[in-house]
Amino acid sequence: MTDPAPLRWTDPGPDRSLILTLASNSTRNALSKELFAALEVGVSQAEAAAREDRIDAVLLRAEGRAFCAGFDLAESAAEGRTLVEFVERLSALVRRLRDLDAIVVASVQGPALAGGCALVAAADIVIASMSATFGYPVHRIGVSPAVSLPTLLASAGIGGARLLALGGEMVTAERALALGIVHRVVPDEHTLRVEEVATLAGLAAKGRVALRETKRWLNRVDGTSRHGALGSRSDEAARATADLCAGEEARSMLAAVWAARHGAPRA
Amino acid sequence: MTACVRTSFDGGVARIELARPEVRNAISLVMIGELRAAIGAVAERAASSPESVRVTILQGEGSVFCAGMDLKAVANDPVAMGQMLRDLSRALLELRRLPMPTIARVQGAAVGGGCGLAVVCDFAVTHAEAKLGYPEVDLGVCPAVVAPWLMRRIGAGPARAMLLMGGTITGREALARGLVTHCVEAAELPAQVASLAASLASGGRLALECTKRLLNELDGSLDERIADEAAELSARVIAGTEAQARISARIGSKPPARSH
Repeated sequence: MTDPAPLRWTDPGPDRSLILTLASNSTRNALSKELFAALEVGVSQAEAAAREDRIDAVLLRAEGRAFCAGFDLAESAAEGRTLVEFVERLSALVRRLRDLDAIVVASVQGPALAGGCALVAAADIVIASMSATFGYPVHRIGVSPAVSLPTLLASAGIGGARLLALGGEMVTAERALALGIVHRVVPDEHTLRVEEVATLAGLAAKGRVALRETKRWLNRVDGTSRHGALGSRSDEAARATADLCAGEEARSMLAAVWAARHGAPRA
Repeated sequence: MTACVRTSFDGGVARIELARPEVRNAISLVMIGELRAAIGAVAERAASSPESVRVTILQGEGSVFCAGMDLKAVANDPVAMGQMLRDLSRALLELRRLPMPTIARVQGAAVGGGCGLAVVCDFAVTHAEAKLGYPEVDLGVCPAVVAPWLMRRIGAGPARAMLLMGGTITGREALARGLVTHCVEAAELPAQVASLAASLASGGRLALECTKRLLNELDGSLDERIADEAAELSARVIAGTEAQARISARIGSKPPARSH
């Protein structure tokens, strides 16, 4: 079932960017233990490269028809603790992407669902093809998208965040653009690849110090920095969601969703 | 020496006009000082005779509203650049604090600090072909001073992407992204601004003042600490090697010699 490498990355080239490609086609890039581990290594690489002043940008992109299908439900349904673990690992990734001293660009085709949408909302610049959809349809499994709320509130505003986080509706790329979580929409995937290159080239042409200081300042002003009005609540949001995931409601709802799709949970 | 900024009052409308058309109304240290004085004069007049200033229009003489900071005038002088950024930050705050509605009339271009002036007004009216935006990072400059105002105008997410990507956009796109409130035919710009001003001037003065004051309080516009911190950060980055080298390359001068 699993692809050989669920995440690929390229070493920074002359354009001073690190490209992380979600490449687990068979699972629609669902966040599994394996993909989380790979993403954590990828983000560590990015942090080291930023610290050594080798990169200005990180591009998070995906292969296949989905950007990311959210948590791997097979793994989540198999063991109660796994869901809690996933929430904590996702929260940490979101935090690290926002804190990263490099501009994070997300490039999205197909669904960016739940945890996948949380990764998108943590990015600084989001480009998407018309096939992209965004949302947090997680109350169906008794889970809260709380770990995404600090960055979602900043990017989508109070009304948009409520619509997405409580409504559970998947929205189109154009609606996401209007809501503020996507910043450029292109017609198709081919154009998206061209846009990725253009965006990285554009960033590479900017002043490095200016970019880094500007991102830090934006984090400071919109409250998403580690100590900001929103960012300082990240850990609390993760704990609340983890408690929820450990509870009876989430476990039984997840098991029911899983059983309806696939029969009994995988042992 | 001729004034860089003109102020006039007529029929309940105050007009503040940037008047250096020969340099596309680029903001110099002198001009920013005069702009702050003009804003102060409008505020004083409004305090003593509120009915005589129901609305304020900020406009630029010539083909361009405002091309941004006049970096050429302060080339090789990072200290003066820093002072300009501090003054600009104060000017934006003072403009926002004016009790009556404000309208920016944007023809041609509003770039960098010039776009900052347009965005801080309650209304910004432009035309489809105008050029607006914040190319600060292209020059190695940090748009810290204008960032909080753009965030309040278009939301933090879109502001983040726009400021990090730099460059400029058209007036039509500026309307779509919420940077400006109106986009009209270029030939119609003065008439449309006058008509918006007349409409605002005929509204309840106390109601508009009360609404504006609440909006300013609720959206954090009056946060002086952020404005001052922003000016210090911008001043620090513009004095750095990277910004100085890029600015010199752009305006065709030699970067200042550095002792470290």
